[in-house]
Amino acid sequence: MTQEQIKNMNDLLSIKNLFLSIDSENQEEILKDVSFDIKESEIVSLIGESGSGKSLTALSIIRLLEKSCKIKKGKIYFLNKDILSIEEKEMREIRKNDISMIFQEPMRSLNPVMNIYDQLKEAYIDIKISNIKQEIINNLISVGIEDAKRVINLYPHQLSGGMKQRVMIAMAIACKPKLLIADEPTTSLDVTIQKQVLDLLLELKDKLNMAILFITHDLAVASQISDRIVVMQNGEVVENSHAKKFFTNPENSYSKTLLNSSLYLRKTTNIENQDDKNILCIKNLKVYFPERDNLFGRNKSYVKAVDDISILIKSGTTHAIVGESGSGKTTIAKAIMGLVSPTSGNIEILNKDIISMGKSDKRDFRKYYQMIFQDPFSSLNPRMRIGAIIKEGLCFLKPELSNSITNEILRDVLDKVGLKHNSLNKYPHQFSGGQRQRIAIARVLVLEPKLLICDEPTSSLDVTVQKQVLDLLIDIQNKTKISYLFISHDIKLISSISETMSVMYKGKIVESGKTSDIINHTQNEYTRKLLKSVPQIA
Amino acid sequence: MFTFLLTDIFFYIIIISLIMYVAYVRKTPDILANWLYVFRSRTGILSIVVLSFFIITAFLDSIHIKNKIYNNNTKQYVYTSEIKSFLDIILSPMHENYEKSYSAPFSSHLYSKETVNFNNIDKREYPRLLYKGNHNKYSNNKIENIAVISLFSIIKSFFICFLIYMIIFYRTIFKKNNNFLNAFNNNNVLCTSFFIIFFIIILLYDLSTQYYVLGTDKVGVDVLYKSIKSIRTGILIGTLTTIVMLPFAIFLGIFAGYIGGFVDDIIQYIYTTLNSIPSVLLIASAILMLQVYMANNPHEFENIYERADLRLFFLCMILGLTSWTGLCRLLRGESMKLKEVEYVQASQTFGLNKFSIIVRHIIPNIMHIVIITVVLDFSALVLAEAVLSYVNIGVDPTTYSWGNMINAARLEMSREPIVWWSIFSAFLFMFILVLFANLFSDVVRDAFDPRANKKYE
Repeated sequence: MTQEQIKNMNDLLSIKNLFLSIDSENQEEILKDVSFDIKESEIVSLIGESGSGKSLTALSIIRLLEKSCKIKKGKIYFLNKDILSIEEKEMREIRKNDISMIFQEPMRSLNPVMNIYDQLKEAYIDIKISNIKQEIINNLISVGIEDAKRVINLYPHQLSGGMKQRVMIAMAIACKPKLLIADEPTTSLDVTIQKQVLDLLLELKDKLNMAILFITHDLAVASQISDRIVVMQNGEVVENSHAKKFFTNPENSYSKTLLNSSLYLRKTTNIENQDDKNILCIKNLKVYFPERDNLFGRNKSYVKAVDDISILIKSGTTHAIVGESGSGKTTIAKAIMGLVSPTSGNIEILNKDIISMGKSDKRDFRKYYQMIFQDPFSSLNPRMRIGAIIKEGLCFLKPELSNSITNEILRDVLDKVGLKHNSLNKYPHQFSGGQRQRIAIARVLVLEPKLLICDEPTSSLDVTVQKQVLDLLIDIQNKTKISYLFISHDIKLISSISETMSVMYKGKIVESGKTSDIINHTQNEYTRKLLKSVPQIA
Repeated sequence: MFTFLLTDIFFYIIIISLIMYVAYVRKTPDILANWLYVFRSRTGILSIVVLSFFIITAFLDSIHIKNKIYNNNTKQYVYTSEIKSFLDIILSPMHENYEKSYSAPFSSHLYSKETVNFNNIDKREYPRLLYKGNHNKYSNNKIENIAVISLFSIIKSFFICFLIYMIIFYRTIFKKNNNFLNAFNNNNVLCTSFFIIFFIIILLYDLSTQYYVLGTDKVGVDVLYKSIKSIRTGILIGTLTTIVMLPFAIFLGIFAGYIGGFVDDIIQYIYTTLNSIPSVLLIASAILMLQVYMANNPHEFENIYERADLRLFFLCMILGLTSWTGLCRLLRGESMKLKEVEYVQASQTFGLNKFSIIVRHIIPNIMHIVIITVVLDFSALVLAEAVLSYVNIGVDPTTYSWGNMINAARLEMSREPIVWWSIFSAFLFMFILVLFANLFSDVVRDAFDPRANKKYE
């Protein structure tokens, strides 16, 4: 036995100098010299932004890489066995018994045409137990599904996101693995459910004595559960240290940036441009969707997406709406923009009722209120050049402008959002997520709106990019006295950028008021729960 | 004198709109850049060259003339009722004489034995061919003879290619910044593919003066001639039908998907109803109606060519009317999806009207589906023609078409020994046309997709 192997004895998994590249013309190296170890019953968090190679590292461990990915160099030892050199058959045994994985998207990880019992049974394929059904029920109870007897007969679409993720975890721990790889298991879940899942993972770790490799981009989540933090950037491990040390005193400069971006604080907390003009005033807005047509085209029941809400935004301020998915936040935004028609209620912008407004008046008025969408990857037409995308609103809402003025405005707005002038002739796919969101902001800024509705503008972006986009939005507000209606699920982020806020739950506003009041001493049960669930960096 | 058949006129319209599109593209730098990508890619240039030869053949076959002859009785010039195309005139060595029956490719005898009277003794033997296959010009050995002919055609095609290359080279020297020609000039593939195609054409032409390269059919017609004449039918059915079908599919599909509601219901009812009628029956009834009409109104048709042509035209129309439903359904689904995409919603917040959104956002993003479907349909239509000929509701039996050749091959395949060359040549020509149409559409789709990873091959 060599020196190195002896050293590995108490490591469950150890990755040594892993190099990985994707088969393409330029043979780009995705992973460069990645090495770290996982000890028994230890939770290691793998942190990095999108494209840093976190998921590929995980897939290399379980050997589920795509064919185009080639491991160039390096070794991965699992229980002192080099798992990169063993036969596929042997590897399958390891996957069956020792390493399990759970994925980010519980919606897509379960087969929609199989019920929970059949899906879970697949995980027990090699385990000889006389009473499998009882075992499955016990397993489900252990992941916190109390009425397991009922749940095993349900299909995935009948379960909520959190329940699905629990079922996924139940499947993963069915074989009592020594190592569980969790690839962003809570990213698509609401905060309250996220907390439950994290608690569950901690509990299971102790119960089953298993190690967890937890992949995440969220430092706060990582700080909640991990013993050790491994930070990756551009395919390299830049820091590998104990959680406590990492969060108090990170060594690497990139880790510091990450940490700073996560502890987001508003630069200028007090803005003077606030005046008493009403920008947006929503009164008793209701948006009901018909649930299902019966035979004669009449419908009997409604989904109350937005149920009797009122919001008031003063000029130059930011009002935030916070809530979990399905609480009706986005529906409000769409109702204001006229993308869905409200069932009843008033929406007044600059003291003008926009619901009863005539078509041509509305067209002229539209330039005063605009919207930024959540996903910058789908909000830009992939077949249009950036210039045409930004110009679109101008051409239709301010047709009186001449060509040279339009071009002037375009160049101006690119400077404002920090993009280069030559971007105008490029296509959206040539930009990163953050840059695309800047383009989306530029597209509405050219119209010089008074109210900008931001529907989760940063939730699909990496933390460092998130900070840049938020800084840009605040910067614009300070310069142009624009008002924002900021929609988010992230109460932590909202607390740092908004003056007033509303908390939504199932289509209703449960609490509304000054942000600082709500954050610091809320009266409402639900808000308290929401605040408690938000992971804090310890 | 020139005469114009109905399908000729449509073919001219297609060619003219193609030329107008080229003129338009040359003025629009964005689209020009995409097309230059097609011209620079190897597959693109190769398929363009091959397809343009097919189109040129079909075009030559669409210019019809009547001959003037002197009538001795009335003492004046009259026009014959026979209509010839330019292609017929070019290919005249191939079809001025007919053999008696089947003969295999490059054969010097007929394919079946006959009783021949020789010096008053009846003998069963394979009779010699009357016109071709026996006059070996350069050597008495057939293989040597063919080799010599091939050698000559290599030299000829090399010479022609050299001339073409010189013309291009000459023009680029004196006309600088001519992107269009620079793209050609940089490309050796162009010269190579030109060379190969010229070589094949000259070789076939030279060989045809002495042999039946693809044999003869039941009544002794050169199969190569038949296959070449069928190109026009194939291309017409492919393009004309597509042109009839596309407006229905695109506009109804998008309206149904994007506008939805009541409009969607009506359009869906129309295409489900149309789909529920077996298309073969629909086509059969339409063709039968046409036949009855032609039988009742014989005075409207001057000659057999016009009747055959009207039937071809009618077939294209009815095929077009029955085949838009599939694409329409696809486009409906895609527009429903696109309607909910955020960039469409973003432009709704700008107050764009429905028409502008359809033109600016929906159509560009469904074009890839249209291109793929059109090319697949093009191949399917060429094949459908064969199927319809099989049940006698396809093109007129006198029209040269691959479908008719395949239909005839039914009986030929059941002979012993089988006659394979008829179906083989129909298959070969269809294969080449469909293959290069597919390759071409692949490159075009890549060229117009900004997300595609464009690299110059």
